[in-house]
Amino acid sequence: MAEAPVLSVQGLTTEFRIGGQWHAAVRDMDFQLARNETLALVGESGCGKSITALSIMGLIPKAAGRVARGRIEFEGRNLPDLDDLEMRKLRGDRIAMIFQEPMTSLNPVLTIGFQVAEVLRYHRDISASEAREKALAILEEVKIPSARQRLDDYPHQFSGGMRQRVMIAMALACQPQVLLADEPTTALDVTIQAQVLVLLAELKQRFGMSMIFISHNLGVVATIADRVAVMYAGEIVETAPVGELFDRPTHPYTEALMRSIPRVDRTSAELFAIPGQVPPISRMPQGCRYAPRCGLKQAICEQQSPPLEPLQGTATHFARCWVRAGGAA
Amino acid sequence: MTADILTVEGLRKFFTVKRGFPNPKTVTVRALDGVSFTVKQGEAFGLVGESGCGKSTAGRAVLRLIEPDAGTIRFAGQDVHALDQSGLQALRRKMQIVFQDPYASLNPKRLIGKTLAEPMQVHGLAKGKDLDQRVAGLLAEVGLPQEAARRYPHEFSGGQRQRIGIARALSVEPELVIADEPVSALDVSIQAQVLLLLRGLQEKRGLSYVFVSHDLGVVRWFCQAVAVMYLGRIVERGPLPRMFDEPLHPYTQALRGASPVPDPKAKVQMMRIEGEVPSAANPPSGCHFHPRCPHAMERCKAEYPAWKELGQGRGVACHLFDQ
Repeated sequence: MAEAPVLSVQGLTTEFRIGGQWHAAVRDMDFQLARNETLALVGESGCGKSITALSIMGLIPKAAGRVARGRIEFEGRNLPDLDDLEMRKLRGDRIAMIFQEPMTSLNPVLTIGFQVAEVLRYHRDISASEAREKALAILEEVKIPSARQRLDDYPHQFSGGMRQRVMIAMALACQPQVLLADEPTTALDVTIQAQVLVLLAELKQRFGMSMIFISHNLGVVATIADRVAVMYAGEIVETAPVGELFDRPTHPYTEALMRSIPRVDRTSAELFAIPGQVPPISRMPQGCRYAPRCGLKQAICEQQSPPLEPLQGTATHFARCWVRAGGAA
Repeated sequence: MTADILTVEGLRKFFTVKRGFPNPKTVTVRALDGVSFTVKQGEAFGLVGESGCGKSTAGRAVLRLIEPDAGTIRFAGQDVHALDQSGLQALRRKMQIVFQDPYASLNPKRLIGKTLAEPMQVHGLAKGKDLDQRVAGLLAEVGLPQEAARRYPHEFSGGQRQRIGIARALSVEPELVIADEPVSALDVSIQAQVLLLLRGLQEKRGLSYVFVSHDLGVVRWFCQAVAVMYLGRIVERGPLPRMFDEPLHPYTQALRGASPVPDPKAKVQMMRIEGEVPSAANPPSGCHFHPRCPHAMERCKAEYPAWKELGQGRGVACHLFDQ
């Protein structure tokens, strides 16, 4: 990699307190995000994909959670070292985030024009009328029809897809370097989802942004990602460029996930379910966290946690598996 | 030739709602506007469409959980709409429903054993030791441990709760199950477990399903036939997998094209469809889909296309197929 990464996460461990004890929801995460790259974090509920994003944004609730270890390097600074004010200046300006449910992230008693302009007024030294003009421009950019007339509308007057566009407009108002998108299309109907995915891809290209796209849907991930990291129980179990991952899923969990999706484009007689369920974070197994559900497990899998290692003959495809990667097989 | 277990014809349901502040206006939402379909014995029939298309209302109207305004529903030859209260209760032994959110549809203060036993008591199917045995049998059938009977809903995960919802529906030995988005709230690996369970029950018990879903992949795998709904009407109907391989109606094509496929090479084909789903309170004139349709013609704006049977169970409502 010639160019330095835009965002670099090393050894990130985020913990939550349950019954007086700290348990890791995300453990030893390592990844880098290149300029103009879309990295998808994919996994099932509770795998730690959203916690990773919230850790980067400094939004882990302090009462019950903490970033225990690790570095999050962005523009020459380590984000966990920043104080609240520095973080607030960064959020929405250099790094922005969009969420799954736009209605709960928009203020219902403020007009959307005000809410988009507010981001600009907080981060940029501009007048109210300038901010309003810029807000209008960005709402047009995200293709809100007749945006000028709709500036003074309230969130409830918008449909779900349009609200998500408003959220995207707020996130992009200051032209951030990195956009974190947490299941941005999950609450939308498929035809609207397709529109929002195309819009995000276009905007990323135009603004030269990098994006971390969080999803549980491998179909959506295949559509939007450049590179994919599959997460299970708080760890990355496999990561590869998108084409490589779908051609050659290597970790048994990735492979099982792909075989458990009923596909719309082909008839498959068999559907494979993964037996059992994800262990709760307070009762993680020793060794490989997927071992209790894995059909390939060997003795070592239940004793030692496997490292994330490159597959033979590649420099970009990594898997955390004693059997399929690494030297134990 | 298999017999039809359910025949629905011209089902209609309009809701009148007051909307707006401070001067509320009465609007009519055309949730179901002449819906007809047939489910064969032992078949899983899919109803697909986007939010607000009326697919869930259709499922509930079949059970008369929502009273339809017009239309006929025949279950195994019996006119469901004409039944009185006791007739309806007897019928609901034969037709059951499984809901999307199993947590919202289970009583949180009631032990699972009681939840499963109650329908059998109401219908006088079993009591005493026999009842306990049947509860045990149901738990085993849906893959839950026997201790589950002495636990509360909050002690279970989403997938397990959905198994409980399925066990409850099975308790009265129904012939038809309306499954309303039964796997939409579940993670994919758990979704596959529940789909396999439902498929197993179909084979073992000869169950028929009306399977309401927004996920075309799930419907393709689970169902033998499907109807696509848009704003309260069926726009296309046919057997699977053929209908998703060669969709005829432009809306079916759009849905199919927009459904993500786990294959990065397929993304170039992803079809874009402009515009949003209009409100069923104020559907567009003529064919409801015409403002978003890439093939819209003049007559599409004026006239709702008549239903055309194309043979082999295939049918479509679109002016492109008028000849």
